[in-house]
Amino acid sequence: MTRYLLRRAPSALIVLWLASVLIFLVLRAIPGDAAAALAGPDASPEVVAAIRHDLGLDLPVVTQYGQWIGGLLSGDLGRSYLIGGDIAELVGDGLGNTVTLTLAALVLAVLVALLLGPLWAATRSRWVDRALTAFHTAAVALPTFVTGVLLIIVFGVLFRVLPTGGVPPNGLLDRVDITVQYLVLPAVCLGLPVAGVLTGFLAETLRGELRQDYVTTVRAAGVKRREVVLRHALRGALPVAITTLGLQTGALLGGAVLVESIFAWPGLGLLVEQGITRRDYPVVQVLLMLSVTVFVLVQLLTDVIHAWLDPRIRLGAAA
Amino acid sequence: MTALTRRATLKATAAAAVLLAATACQSAVDAQTGGAGASATPKPGGVAEVGVNLDLVPGNVFTNSNVAITTLVGLVYDTLVHYDRDKLEPKPALATEWQAADGGKTLTLKLRDGVKFHTGRPFTSADVKFSLASYADPKWNGQLLSTAKTITSIDTPSAQEVVLHLEHPVSNLFDLLDTVPVIDSESAADIATGKRFVGTGAFKFDAWKPNTELKFSRNADYWDGAPYLDGVHVRVIPDSQSLVAAVRSGQVQLARGVGYRDAESAATTEGVKAVQLEGAELQAYVGLNVTAPGLEDARVRQAVAYALDKDRIIKEVFRDKGYPVSLPWPKTSPAYDQELDGRYRHDIAKAKALLAEYGKPVPEIPLAYVGNDQVYTAIAQVVQKDLADAGITVKLTPVDSTQFVKQLIGAQFPGLWTTSHSWAQFSPSTLTVSAYPFNARRNSSHFLSPEYTAAAEKAWQLPTATGPEATAAYKTLSNQLLDNAFLAEIGVVFEQFVTRSNLHDVDWSRRRELDLSKAYLG
Repeated sequence: MTRYLLRRAPSALIVLWLASVLIFLVLRAIPGDAAAALAGPDASPEVVAAIRHDLGLDLPVVTQYGQWIGGLLSGDLGRSYLIGGDIAELVGDGLGNTVTLTLAALVLAVLVALLLGPLWAATRSRWVDRALTAFHTAAVALPTFVTGVLLIIVFGVLFRVLPTGGVPPNGLLDRVDITVQYLVLPAVCLGLPVAGVLTGFLAETLRGELRQDYVTTVRAAGVKRREVVLRHALRGALPVAITTLGLQTGALLGGAVLVESIFAWPGLGLLVEQGITRRDYPVVQVLLMLSVTVFVLVQLLTDVIHAWLDPRIRLGAAA
Repeated sequence: MTALTRRATLKATAAAAVLLAATACQSAVDAQTGGAGASATPKPGGVAEVGVNLDLVPGNVFTNSNVAITTLVGLVYDTLVHYDRDKLEPKPALATEWQAADGGKTLTLKLRDGVKFHTGRPFTSADVKFSLASYADPKWNGQLLSTAKTITSIDTPSAQEVVLHLEHPVSNLFDLLDTVPVIDSESAADIATGKRFVGTGAFKFDAWKPNTELKFSRNADYWDGAPYLDGVHVRVIPDSQSLVAAVRSGQVQLARGVGYRDAESAATTEGVKAVQLEGAELQAYVGLNVTAPGLEDARVRQAVAYALDKDRIIKEVFRDKGYPVSLPWPKTSPAYDQELDGRYRHDIAKAKALLAEYGKPVPEIPLAYVGNDQVYTAIAQVVQKDLADAGITVKLTPVDSTQFVKQLIGAQFPGLWTTSHSWAQFSPSTLTVSAYPFNARRNSSHFLSPEYTAAAEKAWQLPTATGPEATAAYKTLSNQLLDNAFLAEIGVVFEQFVTRSNLHDVDWSRRRELDLSKAYLG
């Protein structure tokens, strides 16, 4: 397994380096700059030029890239143009919130998929099938901004049982019961599309497994249908589902940008959105690199789990 | 793998439902709303929950450029003088009296005694000198930089007296004194990083968590009487609909940065109202690049001004929260002249006649606007239709906000653009020397004219902002703006607060700074 991991590592590092160059260049290619955003519409060109010089935006692009990468490698993430604070501190604050939200959404999605996927694959009831088809379609098709606003209106405004947004006043760790209330709506909003996709994949893969010869053999041995699905077919279907889950983690991180904005959840998504809109290059660069790194690591982890679950993969790789 | 039985599944589902129901009935919502009823009797206590759609940008605290900044500045800082919202008459604030001399080139101010910064340090004349000098530093991008730079020296003969020496008299000096926040020199370096904001205002700054919240507590030693509220908690809620939902649910008592349609919708909820900020007006306008093909002729520019259906824009886009104008001045401005202001009323026939007089086909003109701003997207569409009616083809070119500002400051718009400006609610000269689109020496329209420059300078270098001489100067300036039509005003419009009825006596300054010094929760 270690050898398998070491073989995958160089390609991951190349992806990270290429991503850093791409991120840096693409951000510079967007029209407008942080100095203009900071100066505002009534400022004179002299003021903008002074701010640009102050931020080092008048230096050659290669020098700026060198300074950024040098800083990253030495552990200095830089300072935000807009917020003025240390990026490591900003990212640290936001990361905890985003990870909490993403994990909650992920757990929710996995639970829903594990509950509904096998049920959908094994059901003989037309009504259950129709209901699950409707759930799957709605979960996958409804955009998060629609789901988010609907959840806020129903649970925050009409019934007033859950906060419309924000984080607990005394932090996430102060009182778990309060934190859960703040987390429910954004986690459902973020996790719903992933739950839909996972449920669909799991059900479809399970149906495929149920058509396999070994299932017929097990059934012929008198094992109950529910046990066949949960004990035998599910094990065969899990590698595909886990690969899908890995891919969906990327979607979750992307979706977090919008969901955090809708629910005023102060995570990395809000930082990215603000950074892109206001051309806060240092913050966006670090956050995009962080996203790429997480994505690469998740893919690596997915491959490892996949190889662990299916020996043919690691043996094939070794050969 | 353990078998997942039907019973276990049902148990898990039931447990999840109970957990959800139990947590939903707990106190997170109650803790936010408080559950207070309406009362008209001021009483101390409580923390006002305020929602804003944008976060603080510490480097911009002197620019009044977003609702988080104007909330912070309004709560924490004081100014030397204070304008009422209906007239440009300075009232005492940190300065209690003043005396002009030397034809308006010297101003002596007496300072209020017994005022302390939030750190407990006494406020003195040295702080006034420091604050004015800081404001004049271009890196802070103060909007009244030109006026601040006319101050050549500041004397501090005693702790309670300041003497300002000016290069020449300026009619908007009190605009500057009403605008510059008096900052604490000992903590000023922390402003740029957002670590500390120390002033003499009604509330002390406690903490800022980027993209999350700002916290303020009551200044019990406030010179104008301690505020009723124990504190103010400002939450950053970027999404306009979520912001409205927070007010409607009672989790926020005052929301800033809500769109016009959302505010209108919110005000239909019982216990919620939209308050328009009278005296702190903004102006929506269409800018014209006078070097663009066709627009180099004043008749074509005037045709554009006549073609705009301003009433429709005010009614449909701004939901009647404003009124149409031909000039930038609001009705409370000393430069407001009803007759002059009525010049460019929607008149397609006049627009067509002017184009016929021009005699050449006008090429297609691009119209830039901020594409993710619903208000200006709607305005751009109406302008496109209006100009098509007059015979001018417009191509809509949406851009993002940062690119838009860059093009505006860099005078890079190839044709037309639409956005808003401020500062016309102050002395008229403040607009022409401070707001870049109107700047006589260099502006976004590439409009340069000795007559306009002379009119702007004349209005600026008057010793006072009112009186017969000032009125005559403003008339000349207004005629220059109307005749040259390098900016076609659409209307004077108002920002709105969306508030719950249990938050009383909310006030604001001409710069839309939030004033909760006398506010209380019912």
